Amino acid sequence: MNASVYRTAVLIAGLLIGLTILPHFLKYHQQDFLIFLTINILVVVSYRLVTLTGEWSLIHAVMMGVGAYTSALLSKNFDISFWITLPLAGVAAGTMAALLSYPLFRMTQFYFLIGSFATGEAIRLCWIQFIKPFGGTGGISAIPSPELLDIDFLEPIPYFYLVLIIVTICVFLLYRIEKSRIGLTLHAVHWKGVLAESVGVNTWNYRALAFIVGSLFVGIAGALKVHYIGTVAPKQFDIGFMVFILIWVIVGGYRTFYGAMLGAVVLSVLDEFLREVNQLRPAIYGITLIFFILYLSGGLERLPQKIGSIFRMRKQGNT
Amino acid sequence: MAILEVKKLTKRFGGLIAVNDVSFSVDEGEIHGLIGPNGAGKSTTFKVIAGFLAPSSGDIVFRNTSIKGRKPFRIAKDGVVRTFQETTLFQELSVFENVLIGVHKEAKTDVFSAVLGLDRKRQVRASMDANQVIEFIGLSERKDQLAVELPLGFQRVLAIAVALASKPSLLLMDEPFAGMNPEETRHMMELTRKVRESGVTIVLVEHNMKAVMGLCDRLTVLNFGTVLADGTPEQVQNNPDVIQAYLGGA
Amino acid sequence: MDLFIQTIVNGIIQSGFYALASIGLVLVFGVMRVVNFAHGELVMVGAYTVWLVHAQHGAPYLFTVVLAIILVTGIGLVMERFLFRPMMNDPLGGLICSIGVLFILQVIATYVGGEGPSKQVPPPFEGTMVIMDSIRIPYQRLFSICVSAAALVTLWYFLTRSTLGWAVRAVSMDREAAALQGISTVRISMVAIGVGAAMAGLAGALMAPLTNINPHMGHNVIITAFIVTIVGGIGSLPGAVIAAVLYALFHTFVTTYFSGTIATISGLLIMVLVLIVRPTGIMGHRVSE
Ligand SMILES: Nc1ncnc2c1ncn2[C@@H]1O[C@H](COP(=O)(O)OP(=O)(O)OP(=O)(O)O)[C@@H](O)[C@H]1O
Ligand SMILES: [Mg+2]
Repeated sequence: MNASVYRTAVLIAGLLIGLTILPHFLKYHQQDFLIFLTINILVVVSYRLVTLTGEWSLIHAVMMGVGAYTSALLSKNFDISFWITLPLAGVAAGTMAALLSYPLFRMTQFYFLIGSFATGEAIRLCWIQFIKPFGGTGGISAIPSPELLDIDFLEPIPYFYLVLIIVTICVFLLYRIEKSRIGLTLHAVHWKGVLAESVGVNTWNYRALAFIVGSLFVGIAGALKVHYIGTVAPKQFDIGFMVFILIWVIVGGYRTFYGAMLGAVVLSVLDEFLREVNQLRPAIYGITLIFFILYLSGGLERLPQKIGSIFRMRKQGNT
Repeated sequence: MAILEVKKLTKRFGGLIAVNDVSFSVDEGEIHGLIGPNGAGKSTTFKVIAGFLAPSSGDIVFRNTSIKGRKPFRIAKDGVVRTFQETTLFQELSVFENVLIGVHKEAKTDVFSAVLGLDRKRQVRASMDANQVIEFIGLSERKDQLAVELPLGFQRVLAIAVALASKPSLLLMDEPFAGMNPEETRHMMELTRKVRESGVTIVLVEHNMKAVMGLCDRLTVLNFGTVLADGTPEQVQNNPDVIQAYLGGA
Repeated sequence: MDLFIQTIVNGIIQSGFYALASIGLVLVFGVMRVVNFAHGELVMVGAYTVWLVHAQHGAPYLFTVVLAIILVTGIGLVMERFLFRPMMNDPLGGLICSIGVLFILQVIATYVGGEGPSKQVPPPFEGTMVIMDSIRIPYQRLFSICVSAAALVTLWYFLTRSTLGWAVRAVSMDREAAALQGISTVRISMVAIGVGAAMAGLAGALMAPLTNINPHMGHNVIITAFIVTIVGGIGSLPGAVIAAVLYALFHTFVTTYFSGTIATISGLLIMVLVLIVRPTGIMGHRVSE
């Protein structure tokens, strides 16, 4: 037990140190890529919390947008500092989720899926429709970047460090939640909601809680993203991006905490290599997705186990 | 003193009247049997009492307050906990984790305490409670086994352990003996008595007559959703209506 | 007043598309319990077929309409065989697979048509019918509403009068009960997706001369189909047709008097409202879990 905790700690420390030096060996656009990847890790890990109750919402990308728009509008129109708008982005997305949980959690399963999709799309269309203040299809540009001492956050490396610190903290918090009593109860709500209810668990509350906390963190991710690129637009949070989140989680695997992160990293890196065949990218994603669903439904996290079992079968076949 | 009073309870499913004007009361500390042929409305009565189904009419009074219309989790908090007719467990979790989930009232926490670890003491106590229940019920040796790996008899026992972990004062057991061999039946009977001795009032729905007659202080007999008879096991056994509709038919 | 009547006429014409494009989603969900997210892309493929074979290569329009139906039906059957059938017990898996197909079809369309602006197909039926000096109906639209209506009536006949149609309805009512009666659910699934895809292909082919054709046109189609499906009642075909007519009128009116985006937003909100108040829609039955 202690040995494995120790090993994990060393692993994480090594990873963080590695990530700290990594950007210095990368080209400019690769540094950009690293920033987006780190933000996307927060996106998938926060999505994981939502899915722990067994509900696959299709509104997570839009919640990211709620955070992004909040932070962009506050910092641009009211001159509020990034350091204040960043947490406010989380609060806004969390509040929005809290409000939406009343209608949405009257639905389950298929209905919830479709209901969350429809609600998200309605919110997104509002950003397009109400040009004041959201800027329509073009969105909002010239979003100020963070200010701290003399650091130039327009440069990728400083911004990467900022993102790395915030994402590490957020992921750690999400990990703590999942490993706590709350995480256990969320599992219970997922696997046997009626049984959980029969021993006094308010399942509605827990589903809403996961949704609100997950949205809060993805709201922060949204703010992190748009303060780097400087623009926010409805297109960034459309169903296409939502589908990417789904793919990352499914390809990575949703049984363990690290599965979703693994999926995001592997697929994003793969995606980088596919830049040459830009047009083909979605199709490759599509095929990967189908392949994983059909043949590797546990995701990448289960790959070692699967290979192991194939080997064992071979051996048994030979003897 | 009555801990539970069911008053003129009716439950309709569309045209079908599953429970029809049923009244009975359960005294504190007793094992009260609720029996009747298949489809008599026993499980439905349980579901309505525990808040999983809304009654069409009638009232349910627990410790002198009406619990009608409350949500299941709320009723469980008040102290009325049911078990399920079909074995219902967290299959992919261990015995210990199953029972730990049952300890919900004491272990419940909020996001801040969970993240900051402020609820540590409470969680330690919850684990101790879970262990206590596991010991009480006799599953200590299988504590780390997954629920799905347990033999059927033990799964039944575990289901009761999960319910007990939530510290009920009234336990509604739905056919805990179904499909058990004589050995397992004996064990379960002992266990049921032990639970009662620990201060839990029990309502038992069961088809196994040996168990029912051996355990229950009083019986209510349902047939086609209505109460056919009510009384001690001897009285019920000698009631001609019951013999006609139920024991005689079998 | 003229604008009002003209809007009603436009709405009714629109409703044909909405019904055709939605019916496949309803059928497939009813019978297989799978949400086919690629359904909008099936419509898109129908439209592309017309653009490529008719507008680019000069084949007769009606011939390409038939071709589109055959092609899209084929795609539907392939999806059933290789994706939905293996995923039978995993509705979410089926949905994810269909998202994969969605991407693949979009990329194929991009390859076939190239990137750049949306494609247009010149209407094969030219001219406009003018009623009472002011109500204008282009012949192309008249043609498409007539064909849509004919297709729906045929489908209706098939479902209510034929044994096979009866079996489709039985399966979508209660899958287990139908299987117990000896109905082959696999065969019925093929029929459902075949018919649904054929309707989608037809919708795309009819829409082609009247709309902008691009690889992402499926997005609006699927949103419309969702709204129609939910409001009409999941798995209910008459419900879907009624909802299609109502929603088409509603959408056309709001678009004419306000804006298209507001029309879609209100449509989505109505759908959410239906999900909250009566998840089974106006004519649906509850889906067993
Ligand atoms: N959700 C439901 N919808 C419709 N009818 C139901 C529902 N639940 C139960 N019933 C019907 O109500 C009647 C009573 O069912 P119930 O399960 O309460 O019987 P029971 O006494 O527990 O029988 P058993 O001993 O077989 O468990 C039965 O006729 C049953 O078919
Ligand atoms: Mg029963």
